[in-house]
Amino acid sequence: MRMTDRDAEFVGFTHDHRPDLVRMATLLTAGDASSAEDLVQTTLTRLYLAWPRVRRADNRLGYARATLTHVFVDETRRAHRRWERTAEGLPDRPAATGLAPEDRDAVHAALRDLAPRQRAVVVLRHWLDLDVAETARVLDCSTGTVKSQTAKALAHLRAALTPDPTTL
Amino acid sequence: MLDLRTTLDHAAGDGRPDGRPVDPAPDLRRARTALLRRSRRRQAAGLGVLALVGVAAVGVALDRPATQRLPSDTVASSPVDAQVALVAATLDAEPYSFGLTPRGWTVGGRTPTAVTIVPEDGTTSDDPDDFRGKLVVMLDANPLEGREVERDGRTFRVVESDGYTTMATPTLPGEREGVVRIQFPDDAGWDEDAMLAFLGSVHVGDGAEPGVG
Repeated sequence: MRMTDRDAEFVGFTHDHRPDLVRMATLLTAGDASSAEDLVQTTLTRLYLAWPRVRRADNRLGYARATLTHVFVDETRRAHRRWERTAEGLPDRPAATGLAPEDRDAVHAALRDLAPRQRAVVVLRHWLDLDVAETARVLDCSTGTVKSQTAKALAHLRAALTPDPTTL
Repeated sequence: MLDLRTTLDHAAGDGRPDGRPVDPAPDLRRARTALLRRSRRRQAAGLGVLALVGVAAVGVALDRPATQRLPSDTVASSPVDAQVALVAATLDAEPYSFGLTPRGWTVGGRTPTAVTIVPEDGTTSDDPDDFRGKLVVMLDANPLEGREVERDGRTFRVVESDGYTTMATPTLPGEREGVVRIQFPDDAGWDEDAMLAFLGSVHVGDGAEPGVG
C-alpha cells in the first residue's frame, strides 16, 4: 500500500518515541507489561486518527503523553473489570534497568496500591516534571485536586518505599 | 531520602520489554484499519441520514395513530446535528432494558456490570471487554462528575474526553442504588440531546451489578 504523508510521519514518530510511551505506560499500569502495551497501541491509533492535530502540536511527544494519560484514565473509568484483573499481574518480563528486580517490583507494587488518578499525578508531576497547572489541564481537574492527590500519593510512596529501620 | 524521579525512571524500564528494536509496522497497520473503520462508519451513518431524510420527505408516518404519537418516537436529530436515529422500540439486554434503540446498532455483549451496543456492520471487535467504538451501558458505584444537565426532571452529568462522551445519572427509585452510566464514541453520530434521552430510557434490572474502580 502506498505510504501517505500521514503514514510516513506516523512511522517516524513511532520509531522515535514508542519506547518513551511504553515507559510512561509501564508506570501508569504499575508494571503490567501487557496493559502498558495495550495503552500504547490505543494511544498510537488515536494519534494516527487525529494526526492533523498532532502535526500542528508544538510538542508532539507532549501531545502523545497527554493522549496516553487520557487513554489510561478513560480505560480505568470504563473498564473496571479489565483493570482489576490485570492489576494483579506482574510484568511479563522484567525490563532492563539500573534497579534490582526486587526493588523494581517494590516500586511497581507501591504504584499499584495508588488509585489510577493518583498514579497519573505522580507520573506527570514527579517523573515528567509537569507543573501543577499543566498536570491539572492534562487530567481535566482542578489544581487543588492535583495538590491533594499528590500529597496522598507521595505519603503512600514514602511509606512503601522507605526501608523500615527496624529491619536493618 | 527518596529520590522519586530516579526511582520512577528506573522502574519505567527502557521501553523495549522484549529487547527488540522498534517496529512501527504493526502500529501503522492497526491505525490504518481504525481509520478505515471510522470512514466506513461515517459513510454508513451518512447513508442512514439520507434514508431518514427520504422517509421524512415522503411523509411516511409511524404505524401508531397520530394522537398517540410521542415526541420521542424518533429522537434523531437534524442531519447536521446527529446521524444515528433513536427509535422508540424496547431493546432487552438483561439485566438492562432500553426504551429507545439506536437504529442500526445491536447488543454486542452483556454481563451483570455492563452491556455493549455495537454497530450491526461488524466494525467493532468481538471482545466484550474492548469498548472501543461501542456504546457501553454500565452500573457503577463511582461518584458523579462532569457538567450538570437537567432533562425531563432528572439530573445528568456529562464528561467529554478524548473522543468519547460519558453520561451518568443516579438510578431511579426501585432500581438498584448506584449510577447508571453510558459511554460512546464522539464520531458515532449521536448528539447530546439524543443520548440523554437514551440514558433516560435505560432501565436497570434486578440482576445488574455495579462495577467498582
